[in-house]
Amino acid sequence: MEPTRTLEEYRQLASRCLRCSLCKFIPQVAIKSQEFSTICPSIDRYNFHNYSGGGRLITALCILSNKLQFSPDVVDVVYKCTECGGCDVSCKYLNTLEPLEVIQALREKAVETGAGPMLVHKVYIQKVQEVHNPYGEKHGQRFAWLPDDVKLSENAPVAYFVGCTSAYRRKEIAIATARVLQAAGVRFTILGEDEFCCGSPVLRVGDKKAFTDIARHNIQAIQQRGIKQVIMSCAGCFSTFCVEYKRVANYKFKVFHTSQYFARLLKEKKLIPKIAIPKIVTYHDPCHLGRCGEPYKRWRGITLKILTVIKLTIPPKHLRRGQHGVYQPPRDVIRQVPGLKLVEMERNQGYAYCCGAGGGVKSAFPDFALFTSKNRVKEAKRTGAEILVSACPFCATNLQDAIREEGNTLQYHDISEILLKSLQGGA
Amino acid sequence: MTLEPEAYAALEQVVGPENISAKEAVTQVYGYNWGVELLNLQQGKGFSPFATTPAAVVLPGSTAEVQQVVRLCNRYEINFKAFSTGFGPWNTVSRPRTILLDLRRMNHIVEIDEKNLHVVIEPYVTGSQMQAELLRRGLNCHMPGAGPQVSALASSTSMAGPGFTSPVTGYAARNVLGVEWVLPTGDILRLGSLGLQDPDHADWYTGDGPGPSLRGIMRGFMGAMGGLGVFTRVAVKLYPFPCTPKWEVEGNSPDFAFRVPDFIRYHVLDYKTYEAMDAAMRKIEEEEICFMCFHTSPYGLGAIFNHSVWGFVKQILKYLFLKHPVVTMLTAHSQREIDYKEKALAALVNETGGRDLTTHKQVVPRGVSYAEALRCLLGFHGFLIGTSFQSTHGGLETMTMCSNMIQANIPLKKAYIKQKALGPDKGQGAWCTSYEHGHFFHAEFPAMYDQTSETSCQGMVDYMDKCDEMDLREHFASPFFVVGDKMHEKYGPECTNYHVWLRKIKEALDPQNRSDPGFYISSKVNQE
Repeated sequence: MEPTRTLEEYRQLASRCLRCSLCKFIPQVAIKSQEFSTICPSIDRYNFHNYSGGGRLITALCILSNKLQFSPDVVDVVYKCTECGGCDVSCKYLNTLEPLEVIQALREKAVETGAGPMLVHKVYIQKVQEVHNPYGEKHGQRFAWLPDDVKLSENAPVAYFVGCTSAYRRKEIAIATARVLQAAGVRFTILGEDEFCCGSPVLRVGDKKAFTDIARHNIQAIQQRGIKQVIMSCAGCFSTFCVEYKRVANYKFKVFHTSQYFARLLKEKKLIPKIAIPKIVTYHDPCHLGRCGEPYKRWRGITLKILTVIKLTIPPKHLRRGQHGVYQPPRDVIRQVPGLKLVEMERNQGYAYCCGAGGGVKSAFPDFALFTSKNRVKEAKRTGAEILVSACPFCATNLQDAIREEGNTLQYHDISEILLKSLQGGA
Repeated sequence: MTLEPEAYAALEQVVGPENISAKEAVTQVYGYNWGVELLNLQQGKGFSPFATTPAAVVLPGSTAEVQQVVRLCNRYEINFKAFSTGFGPWNTVSRPRTILLDLRRMNHIVEIDEKNLHVVIEPYVTGSQMQAELLRRGLNCHMPGAGPQVSALASSTSMAGPGFTSPVTGYAARNVLGVEWVLPTGDILRLGSLGLQDPDHADWYTGDGPGPSLRGIMRGFMGAMGGLGVFTRVAVKLYPFPCTPKWEVEGNSPDFAFRVPDFIRYHVLDYKTYEAMDAAMRKIEEEEICFMCFHTSPYGLGAIFNHSVWGFVKQILKYLFLKHPVVTMLTAHSQREIDYKEKALAALVNETGGRDLTTHKQVVPRGVSYAEALRCLLGFHGFLIGTSFQSTHGGLETMTMCSNMIQANIPLKKAYIKQKALGPDKGQGAWCTSYEHGHFFHAEFPAMYDQTSETSCQGMVDYMDKCDEMDLREHFASPFFVVGDKMHEKYGPECTNYHVWLRKIKEALDPQNRSDPGFYISSKVNQE
């Protein structure tokens, strides 16, 4: 049977870490320069092996072997990780380990034992439980961003799940998304008071119980309304629905990221961008839309040991290697905007470098978050791009923080904003 | 064992508080490595993947910092061990009161000298990083056989260092030029032309004369694996990139689409007998047409051309019909040259009674397999199929010796396969490559074992011992993993008492035995 993600279930797997360091770099065949050859922000910043995917596998093994307890030093290692999944993709190029699953299991164990999460995480978890967003904003203000000119259709089969960061901190993304949907003539609704935080910030720091309650609430709220399609502009929400909610319950509705939905609307000619934006643009793949957005497929079967050393899953278990993330739709949207010229960063798609904000890092270790986003912005700038586009409000915040901090001339836009600009001008 | 506060403070003063740690959360993790489970069983320490825990981990950022750290180790009577990328059991410490120098922060490509064809690197520059930078200049290097993610410096100075491109690039010892070496005493020694007294002529361009040539003492065949101080910078030879210098890769792991550059072709051959294979490899290498030319077992072939366990299982029947495969890769810089090499190879295959499986479309490597060959990633496929593998034997000599060794090993390995300790490969699992177009040959014997099973690991350990004994008994070449005092004491008397000389080198360069001798030899007999 598939592990339910308890640390104990990963003992054997952790014992198979080769300490080969592949997890510190993008897949070896994809390396095109030394400067942009690394994948793990944590080891890039903190250097000790503990702060790598492999190091955390060994940390897990140390805990399981009673060599280590969840001391503050261990907790520091466990939480100074953006959970971007870069290590996971690189490891799985030629191995079957699950570094990201083990890191998450470590966090869940830390919470279970009372050692985790970090204090700042505990504060925001409480806020999520009280007002349904980690920022402590009033729940009643969740849709204050909604412009008067956007008309909702109460019984529409399509819902826009806004997410906390777009709702309270990156309202421009929510506004642009709603306007693009309206421009395409999509009849859509919102969940109103019933939209709670998706639970991603809670789960990523290990509070599985609180997360499960949230997931059940949101699934029920969507299904009760008879909604068939849910659109998200947040990569974190998207991945949480596509991967983590599926571990909690089966649901019938379909989940789309805005980039997927917009790409479809463009293909169907329901959107026709007309206003040229003659700029060079590069696209940052959010981890949770890309490699971590790869859908979760429940597996039931057996593991057979054949030929003494080969462990075979029957039926074949889908190993999430990041190849089925959402990569082309945002690029398709960019290519449809007249004038935009897309240039790729060296690290892209499944081996894109993280923006640095995820896994509770932005709140607990802001310097580390900024260290990472500066690295990414440097790579974006190196392409010669004038505009950096991404598709996640969390990435938006952290990348813009780096741009501001560096005094960089790079402009940042969400995929919804750049599309709206071409539809309407200005925006 | 913790360090005294005074010693810790002195080390901290050198590298800064961010770059030293004696916290258990750090040190325990540095005690783990792949292969330690075998080593522990070998040394009667029980079944565990953890070696001795280092007293602290230090991250020096420069040669000057390394030198100061080593001097402090001598002053405070602390043992030390340095590693670069840290892959393999020889990167763990073997004694208490030993600090680990993780050289991760020393990651600069110091200089690429296109005219004199060498690159100067620090310890944490990996093979793939170096190759990627060289490729932009149309150049290439000998890639570490352990994989592209490991340190090219460590491979050059401290390990055996064969690789998949050894027909052209030799092995690591043949590629090392000038060396900057912090001795166990803290003195800095510069080898080769770098050691010339005249600053106008001191440079990295040669490892031997002019200047002090101590390559044999520095590393010999196997390297001192951290037992002789710290190598902080090294120059290695460069070669023209073997084909059109382009690296175009798209898509996602593991199904990357690699646009195969012009003038590079795989040809996978098969021979009915070992004798025919032996003759073919020699003849092919005499013609100096191959960038890669190695023998592997049918299982090995199935492993290197698959990217999933299921893929391997589904295709294995196809490979099991093969007898004695030889993987060749032709590279050239023009159409005319590649045409010539194709014709020459076809003629040789015909002459030696082989079958070209690629021409017959039976084994047609995908684009990404070309990238993996150029980047020396083929060997890593062994980990995908089983849970772990390790090599035995490791001789470096003639093709005849290699061929004899391959055949002699089959019944031995079969016995451990029958015990279900090792993965089944009919006992044929071997990797045999030529060095420098047949100048000499190397063979080693990867065996798949389950590192999570004590039974499998114990079987692997017993098998490794038997392989080493076979090397002595059958007069095959010196085996790979004769490391540490006990092993040297056992094998030295059988091999011209080399261990006496090895110990003299250690005594001369490390009189206090500070640099971890666990994978080398101690300064004094029976010491530690």
